[in-house]
Amino acid sequence: MRDLEVRLGRILSVGTWVGVAALGVGVILMMASGVSPLEPAFPSLDPGAILPGILGLEASAWLWVGLIVVIATPILRVVAALLGFASRGERDMVAVSAAILLVVAIGVLIGRGSA
Amino acid sequence: MAIALIMVAGGAAAGLFGSLLGLGGGILIVPLLTLGFDIPLREAVGVSLVCVIMTSSASAGVYLERHVANLRLGMTLELFTAAGALIGGLVAFSLDERWVAALFALLLVYTGVSMLRRGKPAPPLPSRADGADDGPSTFTERLSGPDYRVHRLGIGAFGSVGAGVVSALLGIGGGVVKVPLMHLGLGVPLRVATATSNLMIGITAAAGAIIYLARGGIDPYVAGPTAVGVFIGASVGSRIAHRIDLRVLRVLFVVVLAYTAFQLFRRALGL
Repeated sequence: MRDLEVRLGRILSVGTWVGVAALGVGVILMMASGVSPLEPAFPSLDPGAILPGILGLEASAWLWVGLIVVIATPILRVVAALLGFASRGERDMVAVSAAILLVVAIGVLIGRGSA
Repeated sequence: MAIALIMVAGGAAAGLFGSLLGLGGGILIVPLLTLGFDIPLREAVGVSLVCVIMTSSASAGVYLERHVANLRLGMTLELFTAAGALIGGLVAFSLDERWVAALFALLLVYTGVSMLRRGKPAPPLPSRADGADDGPSTFTERLSGPDYRVHRLGIGAFGSVGAGVVSALLGIGGGVVKVPLMHLGLGVPLRVATATSNLMIGITAAAGAIIYLARGGIDPYVAGPTAVGVFIGASVGSRIAHRIDLRVLRVLFVVVLAYTAFQLFRRALGL
C-alpha cells in the first residue's frame, strides 16, 4: 500500500511540474507576442491545432497543453490507483476508482453534448 | 505584457496567502479576477478551478509520499464530491451570475467567521462508540486508520456531494467543508483530514473544470498567468509558513474577506 501511495504521489508531483512548465512557456510566449489577458475574445480549444501550435511556438497551444495536463493529472492518479488496487485484489476499491472515472466521463459527455 | 505580469503577481499573492492560511487559494482567486481584473464571474470560477487542481496536486503528492493522507477514505468520498461537482458545474451555467456572486459572498463570510473562531479549542471528537450504528462493516474498517475508526460514512457521502457542488459552482477546493466534515463528522484526526481533503480536491475540481472547459468557459490567456502565479506563491508560502506570525495575517485576511464579501454583495444586488 505504501508503494502505491508513493507512486500516486509521484504522478501528482510530476504532472504538476509538467503542466506548470508548459503554462510557463505559454505565458512567456504570450508576453513576447503582446497578447493581453483582458481581451474578451480568446482561442477555443481545438485539439487538431495543438501540435502545429506547439511546434510553431504559439502561446495558446502551450497554454492549452498546460491546462489539459493540470486537469488530467488527478484523473491519471485515479487510473493508476485503479490498477494498483486491482493488482492488490481490492475489488471494492477498484469499483470505487472505476465509478469515479465513470463520473468524470459523464462530465465530458455532458459538457460536450451541450457545448 | 504588463497586464499578464500583474496577473502573475496577483496569482502569486493569492497562492501565498492561501498556503500560509491553509486555504487552497481558490477563495482569493475568484475575487481577484472579478473585482481586480473585471473578468466575468463564471470565467473566473473556471480559471480558479484549474489553479485549485494544481495546488491540490502539488501538496497531495507530498502528503501521499509521506503517507499522511488516507487514500481509501479519500477515494471513496471523492466519488461523491466528483458527482457533486458535475451537478455544480451544470447549475453554474444555468444560474444568473448575481446568484453566484451572492453565494460567494456568503462563503467568504462563513470562511471569515470560521477563521476567527480557529485558535479556540475544537469541539471534542465523538467517541468511538458512536460508530456502533455502522455495524461491523469490513469496508468501513478498511477505510479507518491505524489509530482511528471512521464512522458515519453516510454523512460523509452526503456532505461530500454538497462540497462538490460548492466547489464547481464557486471555483474553490471545498476544504472549508470537507475538513470539518471528516474531522468532526467522521472522527478522522485533523492532520489526516486536511491531507485527505487536499487529495480529494484534485479530482473534484477536475470534474468541475471539465464542464467549464467543454463549454468554452476557460480563457487560457487568463488561466495561464494566474495559474503560474498561484504555483509560485503557494510554493513560497509552504516554505516560509513556519516563520510567519499567523495571528496578524489572519486578522488582515478577515478584513480582506469582509471587504470582498461587501463588494460581491453589491454586485449581487446590481448596485
